[in-house]
Amino acid sequence: MEQRLKEILGDILDLDPNSIDGSTSKDSTASWDSLTHINLVLALEQEFQMSFEVTEIELMLSFDDILQVVMSRLQST
Amino acid sequence: MTPSRQTSSDARKGFLSCVAAGDTWRAIQAARALLKEDPSIRQLSFIRHAVEKIPPEKLSLTHFRVALLSSFSIEFIHNPLVVYGLLDGLRIEIYQAGFGQFRQEILNPQSGLYGFAPDVVILAVEGKDWVPSAYHQYLTKRESGFDATISELRNNVADLVRIFRDRSNATLLIHNFAPPIRPQLGILDGHVGIGQAEVVQTLNAALFTAARVSPGVYVVGYAGLITRHGSLHWYDERMEYYARAPVAQEMLGHLAAEYMKFFRALTGRTKKCLVVDLDNTLWGGVLGEEGIHGIALGPNYPGSAYVAFQEEILNLHKRGVVLAIASKNNPADVDEVFEQHRHMVLKQEHFAQVQIHWKPKRESLVAIADELGLGLEHMVFVDDDPVECQQVVDALPMLTVKLLPKHPEHFVRALLDDGLFDALSFSSEDRRRGELYRQRTEAKAFREKYASLEDFYHDLAMQVSFVPGQMASLARAVQLTQKTNQFNVTTIRYSESELTARMADPDWLIATVSVRDRFGDHGIVGLMMGQVSGGEMAIDTFLLSCRVIGRTIETAMLAYLCDEAVRRGVSSLRGRLVPTAKNVPARDLFERHAFRKIAELESGETSWVLDVNNSAICWPKWIQVVEETHAQ
Repeated sequence: MEQRLKEILGDILDLDPNSIDGSTSKDSTASWDSLTHINLVLALEQEFQMSFEVTEIELMLSFDDILQVVMSRLQST
Repeated sequence: MTPSRQTSSDARKGFLSCVAAGDTWRAIQAARALLKEDPSIRQLSFIRHAVEKIPPEKLSLTHFRVALLSSFSIEFIHNPLVVYGLLDGLRIEIYQAGFGQFRQEILNPQSGLYGFAPDVVILAVEGKDWVPSAYHQYLTKRESGFDATISELRNNVADLVRIFRDRSNATLLIHNFAPPIRPQLGILDGHVGIGQAEVVQTLNAALFTAARVSPGVYVVGYAGLITRHGSLHWYDERMEYYARAPVAQEMLGHLAAEYMKFFRALTGRTKKCLVVDLDNTLWGGVLGEEGIHGIALGPNYPGSAYVAFQEEILNLHKRGVVLAIASKNNPADVDEVFEQHRHMVLKQEHFAQVQIHWKPKRESLVAIADELGLGLEHMVFVDDDPVECQQVVDALPMLTVKLLPKHPEHFVRALLDDGLFDALSFSSEDRRRGELYRQRTEAKAFREKYASLEDFYHDLAMQVSFVPGQMASLARAVQLTQKTNQFNVTTIRYSESELTARMADPDWLIATVSVRDRFGDHGIVGLMMGQVSGGEMAIDTFLLSCRVIGRTIETAMLAYLCDEAVRRGVSSLRGRLVPTAKNVPARDLFERHAFRKIAELESGETSWVLDVNNSAICWPKWIQVVEETHAQ
């Protein structure tokens, strides 16, 4: 799961998946702006066949955040 | 990694290595395969990032600058646009204007838009943003009527276009307006006074009128796109309110594909020829096995689906697309179907080339391209057999191959949805192109009969007209600059607005060349453009359609230019030859006519000069000039 998420982030943010860790965040990554953030959310929705609430979208600002939100979604289904 | 992820990773590596190797066609094929396997947002993003890292000279892609002006956040279209651009051989560079800044960008002469020097400017403004009276303000505005609304839009558009055109020669594409999703009067809309839907239709008609009178301005059928895909699918309310991005992500690909139809037409990438298989393509079943009475073609399913497919192919023929057949069959069996089967819509005379034999299809396709004088990249091949299609794809990567879907009722969509044959002009030459290609085949047979070239020229009974460039011939002249590759000394591509600007300039001479001979009227087949300055006329453009080369018409054209030069008091003609992979037939034009070579660059480009008062160029005696007119 972590690897899968890293690959998605890698594709959207144009990063090497191996360079992504828990601290990779919107604040610390140049290519992660409000536009790519939405692309990221849409890509995750496509990949996991889920739809996020806007409140969740606002929270998914780092790799760790995304992992948390996606995992909790998968567990509740 | 899961197995599918492994193949995906290999496919991506394959794409990247084609790019690294500088193999343009294979890289494009690999990108296409990547998208087919996984058309997701992440895949588009991966390919887009890869494309933007390609050094400009690595692949043979045409640089194409697109400016996007919008009333909403259209940035999400960048990924599909760049990727689809790659699939058509374009390296698309995008200038994205600030949100809602479309008017400022056009009105401000110092704007980033003009600094970017775009090839195309797209004005993507939602109807509800530009003309709120027809949308959320409809009920309030109803009382006062909509005449003022409509004339205000007309004036707005005319002003924007005029100001834009003063500052740029780029093509301008304007979205028309979406039909109101939920008319405020519901089912009563249109029954009590002018309805909301009708107001929008009138606004859209006004947009088309504005486009028709302005060269280089076209309407993007946004309303049509939404109608095809359905408003309920087209819009994403969540993203509209959260990100001001009302168009659903899945639909942006369709919008990008629509833009690509225009970009292809503007860069000479419109497909010109359709090559079809026969069995399970034009009829159901294999002719060699079922016989003429066993194939499915007629009023009942599946025959009715094949009849409909043939009708659409005939429509393409009427639009100016050249048709050809590449089939593994016995010629006698096929002749019988064409001659005897009462439900055949297509006839032998509709096909300019017929390759029916048992050799590999790639040989047929190369032969067809050769005979027609067309590049393989301008052809589309359609077949029902995946093995045949794959073999052709592997052997001829620049050819567009469409593997037909399983069911014949879906053939029409498969053939037409991409708009591969969409062009931005439709002239009488286009309407008659099928007939013209047939004439060429006849003329070729005719030529083989003559021992002496002069006898042959005399017998052609050629009549040539030279007419100064005018609005009526503008579209055809532009088409010639875009499509003529073989007999073209400088291969300069012109857009409608660029050519119109030249036509208005008194220092420029522009003349179209029309030819009629014993085989028929070929219409406008040549173009000359020259610029006068300092006692010299520099030939900017000198081209002739490949269907009339090799008959000294170019000599008559040079004689006309000499006469024009003398009339204008110019003492010399200057020619420039820019060699390309395709213009071998034009390479010796100046040398043959005793121009003197004055320069040669490392690139192979040469410059030539001719003293018009002392030249040996004579009007060929076998050519009758029927209408020679000169600009006043």
